[in-house]
Amino acid sequence: MPKEIFMPKLSSTMQVGTLLQWFKEEGDSVEVGEPLFEIMTDKINIEVESYEDGILLKRYFEEDDEVPINHVVGYIGEAGEEVPESPPGESGVSNKPDSPKSPESSEQQTETAPQEQPSEQPEKVRATPAARRVAREREVSLAEIEGSGPKGRVHQADVESFTTTASAAASSASSATPLAQKVAKAEGVELQDIAGSGPRGKIYRADVEKAKQPEAASQTVPAKRVKMAGMRKIVADRMLHSKTTAPHVTLNSEIDMVEVVAMRKRLLDPVEKQTGYRISYTEIIMKATAHALKRHPNINISLEGNEIVQHDAVHIGLAVALEDGLLVPVIKDADRKGLAELTADCKSAGQKAKSGKLKPDEMSEGTFTISNLGMYAVDTFNPVINQPESAILGIGRINEKPVGVDGQIVLRPMMGVSLSFDHRVIDGAPAAAFLTDLKAILENPLELLM
Amino acid sequence: MRELTYLEAVREAMSQEMRENEDVFILGEDIGVYGGAFGVTRGMIEEFGPERIRNTPISEAAISGTAVGAALTGMRPILELQFSDFMTIAMDNMVNQAAKIRYMYGGKGKVPMVLRTPAGSGTGAAAQHSQSLEAWMAHIPGLKVVQPSTAYDAKGLLKAAIDDDNPVIFYEHKLCYRTKSDVPEEAYSIPLGKADIKKEGTDVTIVATAIMVHKSLEAAEELEKEGIHVEVIDPRTLVPLDIETIVQSVKKTGRLVVVHEAVKRGGFGGEIASLIAESEAFDYLDAPIKRLGGKAVPIPYNPELEKAAVPGVSDIVTAVKETLNRL
Repeated sequence: MPKEIFMPKLSSTMQVGTLLQWFKEEGDSVEVGEPLFEIMTDKINIEVESYEDGILLKRYFEEDDEVPINHVVGYIGEAGEEVPESPPGESGVSNKPDSPKSPESSEQQTETAPQEQPSEQPEKVRATPAARRVAREREVSLAEIEGSGPKGRVHQADVESFTTTASAAASSASSATPLAQKVAKAEGVELQDIAGSGPRGKIYRADVEKAKQPEAASQTVPAKRVKMAGMRKIVADRMLHSKTTAPHVTLNSEIDMVEVVAMRKRLLDPVEKQTGYRISYTEIIMKATAHALKRHPNINISLEGNEIVQHDAVHIGLAVALEDGLLVPVIKDADRKGLAELTADCKSAGQKAKSGKLKPDEMSEGTFTISNLGMYAVDTFNPVINQPESAILGIGRINEKPVGVDGQIVLRPMMGVSLSFDHRVIDGAPAAAFLTDLKAILENPLELLM
Repeated sequence: MRELTYLEAVREAMSQEMRENEDVFILGEDIGVYGGAFGVTRGMIEEFGPERIRNTPISEAAISGTAVGAALTGMRPILELQFSDFMTIAMDNMVNQAAKIRYMYGGKGKVPMVLRTPAGSGTGAAAQHSQSLEAWMAHIPGLKVVQPSTAYDAKGLLKAAIDDDNPVIFYEHKLCYRTKSDVPEEAYSIPLGKADIKKEGTDVTIVATAIMVHKSLEAAEELEKEGIHVEVIDPRTLVPLDIETIVQSVKKTGRLVVVHEAVKRGGFGGEIASLIAESEAFDYLDAPIKRLGGKAVPIPYNPELEKAAVPGVSDIVTAVKETLNRL
């Protein structure tokens, strides 16, 4: 009896997975734990391993296909066993409790591989024969080219616009001065290879003579083009979706951080002693935010379909910048954790994100996100909400500024904060109240003890 | 130059040949005083008499068998079948006799005959009188298959068919009979196996036969308004087929749409598409080859359904745009 392989559901928001790469051909033998294929979800790239020993009997989907969760991707079984010719659709056994492929059981091998996707298997690119011929002639890789046809099929015109405009050179060939043509002929120089300096690329004798010299720097360098894929595409889709579905409103404020600065100084040593990490402002801000969220449950919400879900737990996501995108690891139950534990959690989450070791469940179930750009010369910005959450806090730098205190102008370490919220579910006044409360906590961190 | 209808051009080709060559004669049902099912031979019995315009019993087997025999003994018969659907009755004589004899006797005998017959739908003649069965005949080695679309082509190709020493199946589309074009008065011959570019273009190649040539030209005109330049090629003869002209065109345009009225499944369009995929034009294809053909149903009697069963101008326009990703 052949065993189904199906598209695992790796997060609460995952509806489809994109098949990035097969590691096995039909007919290959497969062992338990061997990676079968790599998928991309709305959050990460992950390798899916086999839960059966046997022969990979059937692959129903090709690379780049989108497969709904729990749909059968293929079969593993004994050689010669019969399997359906066409994709059977949703798996019949996916709801069994002992069903394979829960994400937890594949933790060990779970890896994000965001930058690796393009150009690994150029022969699998969908392209017309003409596009392939032109790509061959011009020695470009089809994998780098964005196709304009159905399902991303690369056409000849796509290859042509990708490579340098040979047509310009060709047209200039026809417009060369008679002298230039004569010189070119005498010197054995191809006019097509010469960029003319005259009007509309007309070639003069000087151009021909310059071209004669070995490799004059007349070659125009084409702009670098990279196919948008992997994490970049996920970020793009999610940002666009958030911005186009949620009406964003951003409230800005400034917080006097003098107390927090003092508090952090006093906590540095004890926290480092306990965890080995240096506590940063991020953890203190997260702690204060969690505290404020507990007081303002109407901010800690999600819009799911027609229902507004008010979360009891406070799970705070922390935006982590990577070379080619960003990830948002989630610190679970941030409100119940002390600053030492938060410091340890935040640092290890950041390291995992940067080394691509985050597991799907470490990036899911967030109820609020903090995006900190304080290490840059940024005062405030309008962060984009990380859906399905409804609000996000942007942190700017701490900068000494003159402020009025008790009738005196004094310099204070002021920090810009920006709260973006989804106006479909949160109104201005409650958001403002939340931000005001957060400011009060950070200006008097003893409130955290309350 | 004067204009003639397709029907008149066919008649003129036969009359001119019969005046020149005593061996040529016509046989078929009601081709005498009545002038044939569509009037192609009207008036000919008055000029050539009943010896050379021979009415036959209602038996396609008898007509075709007589023609094969006459051809073997040195005559050059032209036989008319009222509807190409009745080819089924003449099939054994055409496939097992006419097509084979010259080969089986090592060239000692030959069968110089022309089978003329009206084909296609569009006249409300329903399932048994509207088919396009040319792919059957094109499959048989030893038969030549001609499908002219214009009056000019009809006259020149019929002369070439009569002059040919092999059996030639000459399909006349019923809806083409009334189309007109300039036709020279003197006799002329268009070689079998020479395609004609009916309209030059740069973006997409359409290969169309018979009435679909006219529909494709109409579609091309419509597409021209949107800046799409279609090249329309009429192969004119399926056997022998001038594939080279099509290959050169596809190398130029990178896109191919094949249109015929015959049912798409097993139709001759599949042969053309395959030849292109095998040819050096393959590396120039910039879109999947598209075939348009009749639906796999017997031609309905209801005029609306009859129209819907075969490709129309809008289908061709859509297919061309699809190959250009312009839908």
